[in-house]
Amino acid sequence: MKISKKLYSYYLIWPALLIYSIFFVLPALAGLYYSFTDWRLDREAIKFIGWDNFERIFTDRTLLLAIKNTAIFAVVTVIGKNLLGIALAVGLNMRLKTRNLLRAIFYSPSILSVLVISIVFTPMLRSDGTINRIFEAVGLPSLSQAWLTNPAIVIWTVAFVSIWQHTGFQMAIYLAGLQSISKEYYEAATIDGAGSWRSFRSITIPLLLPAININLMLTLIGGLKVFSEVFVLTGGGPGNASQVVGTIILRSFGEGSWGLGTAVNTLLFAAVTIIAIPLLIFMRRKEVSE
Amino acid sequence: MNGKMKKIATGVLAGVMTLTLAACGNGNSGSGNASATDSGGNGNSGSGGSSGKKVTIELAISKSSQDSAFVAQDVLDEFEQKTNIKVNLQLLPAEQTATVLQTKLAVDEVPDLIQYNLASATTDLNLERNFEILDNEPWVSRLLNKDVLSAYDHVYSFHYSQDTGMQGVVYNKDIFKDLGLEIPKNYEEFLAVCEKIKASGITPVFMPFKDNWAANIWPAAAFADWAAKNEPSLFEDINAGRKKWSDVPEFATFLEQQYEVYKKGYTNTDILSDSYDMAVGKFLNKETAMMFMGDWLIVNVAEKDPNVHLGLFAIPSSEDANLGASPLGGQLFIPKKAKHMAEAKQFLEFLATKEVAQKMVDSQGSVSNFSDVTTPKLPEYKQEIVDQYITPKKTTLTTDAYMIVDRSELYRLLQDEFAGGLDAAGVLKAWDEKFSQLMKDKGVEGF
Repeated sequence: MKISKKLYSYYLIWPALLIYSIFFVLPALAGLYYSFTDWRLDREAIKFIGWDNFERIFTDRTLLLAIKNTAIFAVVTVIGKNLLGIALAVGLNMRLKTRNLLRAIFYSPSILSVLVISIVFTPMLRSDGTINRIFEAVGLPSLSQAWLTNPAIVIWTVAFVSIWQHTGFQMAIYLAGLQSISKEYYEAATIDGAGSWRSFRSITIPLLLPAININLMLTLIGGLKVFSEVFVLTGGGPGNASQVVGTIILRSFGEGSWGLGTAVNTLLFAAVTIIAIPLLIFMRRKEVSE
Repeated sequence: MNGKMKKIATGVLAGVMTLTLAACGNGNSGSGNASATDSGGNGNSGSGGSSGKKVTIELAISKSSQDSAFVAQDVLDEFEQKTNIKVNLQLLPAEQTATVLQTKLAVDEVPDLIQYNLASATTDLNLERNFEILDNEPWVSRLLNKDVLSAYDHVYSFHYSQDTGMQGVVYNKDIFKDLGLEIPKNYEEFLAVCEKIKASGITPVFMPFKDNWAANIWPAAAFADWAAKNEPSLFEDINAGRKKWSDVPEFATFLEQQYEVYKKGYTNTDILSDSYDMAVGKFLNKETAMMFMGDWLIVNVAEKDPNVHLGLFAIPSSEDANLGASPLGGQLFIPKKAKHMAEAKQFLEFLATKEVAQKMVDSQGSVSNFSDVTTPKLPEYKQEIVDQYITPKKTTLTTDAYMIVDRSELYRLLQDEFAGGLDAAGVLKAWDEKFSQLMKDKGVEGF
């Protein structure tokens, strides 16, 4: 009797591929085409206009501000979520009595809806809100800020709220990574006289690289695609001070400039791809196996 | 367990998490659409004399307007009984009404009737291309005020009322009486009134400018009043690209006035954090005496507590200014591609009959737009507006009535003035740029 080595035939990929093509690849290609047109709500005919939409993106002050804000948000949240995530994971990987409880507490914000987060944080971040009251109570009234209404700091505030919410999720992935590192390495390192910082640098970090890679990717892509946090906390305001690429896309569609909105979307897609893929390849090379 | 296995397991776990993350994202963006198509109809249970030729027509309406008199259940039931035509309501989520209707019109999946605002229909829904002209309908000859239903010189919509909303300074009459204050006739008098109210410990003006549209009430009325009295062709010129918003120095003055009210400390302190939904509470608790808003706020406050007496006076930007009038909203439209055009028109005829229109006018306490339908006794505040402003013809349509492009960027710029990002002249300059870009995109001549 002959038994096939393959468990499943490759033909089984077809249904999924078909659905993926119809609902993702085709719309994406159509979007690419529309981003080169003047597609609008009040136009009968759609005209090909070459790079005009893209030219406009790079000459419009608000759009440039949105790109800058998106970059700030992405960088700040990538650093914040990952540094804090690793720190929390290392801390909660130790033998603490309240370990499981603390893990649950730190993870819980990431399962909340961003709308709930906004309802909780908006009153706290008012100029007469809890956060400023705390600063005043501890004798640091100079740190009081109009957190969500000062154009100079609003995007940083939104980034902070996002870090607060999602660090627990990053922590969970780091914890999974930490637990796959064998205790024997640490024992050997201790015998060789390595301190805890040395062990962390030479054992934990290299063996945690797969988890770091995944987290960097997730936070970076999430950061570049940010929409909901800004939308619910500030709506892009005050004025346009906290607009990001995601909210600009919504604004363009609202104004009836569908072609322009699609162009901004295409640009975002290209930016995510151009930044994420080389980073992924670079980080993969750094990974070591046990 | 070897290391490779562990690594694979970690990878799979992370992969699953990524997928869940992605799925969450999709769920969120999809939910809006799901509820958009959710038609709030109540099934198609045949009632009364079904002759077997029952027709169902679709009426799309924003969820926020579902208490509109047009769609009251007894009205729809009576219509169905008389004509054997059932009206099925498609309730659209309020914040997505425009998008859903745009999409429906674009893909020819049109309802037979749509309730929408005439002014927004010209900017959002391409009125001329998508909607039927109703000039020859039998009820048109009985209209008292065709303008509130017309655009581009044609009647495009239906309403039983000509009661446009009014915009100005909503004020607490009791506080004014207690402090012995008169209604201010110009800006200086207004500042003096603010000073006295502030001295009594009450916040003179509530500015909920987290909702940036609220910053537009003052300028929209002030600009229109100035133009009506000094340069009646101004908005026509602006819409043809012959003039700019920044060409009128008074406009910058009006913007500075509103800013000064804030700077002098006559408002709530955190104006950019306070939102419109707090306004009713502020008036109920007598925390504030005035607000730049429409008369709908007076109705909302009266519903909660009829003992709070509110009134409305004109934005005091210039000497003896006119009261701002918003364009009439909530009209019914028939799309050109309606599948049941005849039945949809029949529904409008039914609503326009003397008996039905009278019933709706009475229940809403609004000013009738039909010559044979009488206006009922109006609420006190409304009667005052009629006596002081409408009868002496001291009202002016606000700038909103003349805008044929999306105004949300103007609202953001107005908000930015209060965030310290722009001064009054900067607001107008930035709006000029955006305005001409929007007009150019729209294909308007002169841009």
